[in-house]
Amino acid sequence: MTPVDDADDADDTDADDTDADDANPVAAALADGRTTLTEAESKTLLRGAGVETTDFVIADDADGAVAAAEEIGYPVVLKVSSPAVTHKSEWGSGAGVAVGLDSAEAVRSAAERIETEAEAAGVDARLLVEELADTDAGTEVIVGGLRDPSFGPVVLAGLGGVFTEVFEDTSHRLAPVDRAEAREAVESLTAARLLAGYRGSEPADLDALADVVVAVGDLLIEHEAIVEVDVNPVLATGEGAVALDALVVLDDDRTEGGE
Amino acid sequence: MNLQRLFDPDAVAVVGASANEDKIGYEAMASAVRFDGPVYPVNPSGEGELFGEPFVDSVTDVDGVDLALLCVPAPVVPDVIAECGEAGVGAAVIYSGGFAEAGEEGEELQRTVVDAAAEHDIALLGPNTSGYVVPGSDLLFSFASGVETVPAGDVAVLAQSGGVAHDLAFRSTREGYGLSAMVGLGNRANVGFEEAIEYFDGHDDTDAIVLHVEGTDDARGLLETCRDAETPVAAYKVGQSDVGEFAESHTGALTGDHDLYLAGFEQYGVPTVDSTAALLDAGVALAHEPEPSGANVGVVTAQAGPGIIIADRLQRAGATLPELGAETRERIDEILPGITFSGNPVDTGRPMPEFGEVVEAVAADDAIDAVLVYELFEEALGFPVEALDGLHEATGTPVLFATEGPPDAMADQVDALREAGVPVYVQPERAAEATATLARYADLREAGAVPESAAEQGVSR
Repeated sequence: MTPVDDADDADDTDADDTDADDANPVAAALADGRTTLTEAESKTLLRGAGVETTDFVIADDADGAVAAAEEIGYPVVLKVSSPAVTHKSEWGSGAGVAVGLDSAEAVRSAAERIETEAEAAGVDARLLVEELADTDAGTEVIVGGLRDPSFGPVVLAGLGGVFTEVFEDTSHRLAPVDRAEAREAVESLTAARLLAGYRGSEPADLDALADVVVAVGDLLIEHEAIVEVDVNPVLATGEGAVALDALVVLDDDRTEGGE
Repeated sequence: MNLQRLFDPDAVAVVGASANEDKIGYEAMASAVRFDGPVYPVNPSGEGELFGEPFVDSVTDVDGVDLALLCVPAPVVPDVIAECGEAGVGAAVIYSGGFAEAGEEGEELQRTVVDAAAEHDIALLGPNTSGYVVPGSDLLFSFASGVETVPAGDVAVLAQSGGVAHDLAFRSTREGYGLSAMVGLGNRANVGFEEAIEYFDGHDDTDAIVLHVEGTDDARGLLETCRDAETPVAAYKVGQSDVGEFAESHTGALTGDHDLYLAGFEQYGVPTVDSTAALLDAGVALAHEPEPSGANVGVVTAQAGPGIIIADRLQRAGATLPELGAETRERIDEILPGITFSGNPVDTGRPMPEFGEVVEAVAADDAIDAVLVYELFEEALGFPVEALDGLHEATGTPVLFATEGPPDAMADQVDALREAGVPVYVQPERAAEATATLARYADLREAGAVPESAAEQGVSR
């Protein structure tokens, strides 16, 4: 059994949060006066909507991060976790994200670097320890959702990772969408040829990917306060679709509680 | 809101009517008087008569006016609307600019007008519009001159811009189509796309609605209205707008308004086109032809070159060209032994007396959902009018026609085909695009692209 296979375990180490907050990270963030969810909160929300994510644990310090890494199993990814940091990889001169940490020493060193940068920046930061996904095993896709003032909830699928801005290969649908529509959106991408299995690589599970698109649309419909969901990347493989990173943005003028 | 009094009035007042030929109040009156009902020129400083109608001081001086055409400057409009309310006028066209399109003060002025209209339940077309024309009923309520030349047809043009509305109206005139209505929506104070689409969906003379869209505050409402309309709708969304308030993150940066319109129209069963010409062409195809059962197009051409262009364009635009059935090929071989090419396209090599029979054979093929015919005009042969007349009714398969030739020499034959219910286009590309739009419309409807769940959930923005 993996050490963290559901959201509750992740939140157990998240001592500051109350139980009510665990149940609804959106309400918790709004109560705190925040307009973004942390990656852990965002992934918890996605899990609740049925989206598979990588295993993760929130730790308070370097010791905790090492313990979490031992549980999850090396190699791991270590990321800064703070409501104040939404673009983690650009934060702290690159300290915000450390990939492929394969020993306790490596985790400790990366954790201390985050702590140093956080202290310097005056940011209240914690540590997100995460299972390392083999991105070579699949295709990175972006799945997004936003609440447009004129169109309401809309979803998008696109080629993810570093190619997102380069090719701007995206397709859009108005939410809610069903799986068939979401599949159509995915299949209308130029990148669909990559997903279909390029030069002998395994074809991606398009139904699983479509389900992520459906779930993102449903989140916007269910949570009035959510104005944007950014799941980038989603790793699409033959076995499924796993959210590797996620960002949820809220509008604090909107009350939580759905329709 | 009931738009009956706006688009089908019994009596009309032209407020700000003027004998000065340079003024909108003159042009509007000049066109309006063709209306078969009372048209009252309203102007306190007007003397005597204008186009045989005596001036009155105020709309409150006349009874039974449904529609007031306001040829007055923007600042006066709120007072005139209040007066209209007092007089029981049900609708107004506001030609003047200087409202929401002109900055904050204008926005405030527009709000005042909308509030006044709401108080008296007045439907407002505009402001900032050139008005509307319904040629079949001689409702020429535009200040642009020459609108009386627009022939009656069966396509309703609903344009956000009055300029585009007129451009399309005059283009349709030149190309011999005609319109059931031409409406410039302008600032859409309280009559917008949704209200106008709903009205013309129920308009007896309208068989297709085409939209020119720049942008609207309630795009989802527009899409839902299009989906709910029984009349076929096609749209031309103009302008690739910027990314708006979500530009900072990936999702926002990747989502322009334009993308959402194109995706949304498709999702809600509305084919989109990329030019004003294509918009009219699509309207004519949608209005005249039965809804095809799919996107499989059969092409019959008397000349290879245009046929190749058509085959290429059709496929690029999302239609498919299936092989014809064995039975059809045998039938064509019997009609024309040793034919140039009898796959799809069928190329007869040159116009010939049997051309119409070939078209009939292709239209009857089970694999074919629509037929596009290309033939250069040959005076000695004419067009196969008899064969094509009623063919789409007999087969349930749309038949469209494209040609070119000396305009005067072929005019009668073009008219004959059109009277037989066959849309006639010039330019192989335009014909192909219109056919592909018709085919795509069928595909979008067929795919059940309509998310029922969206309608039920009443999604909030």
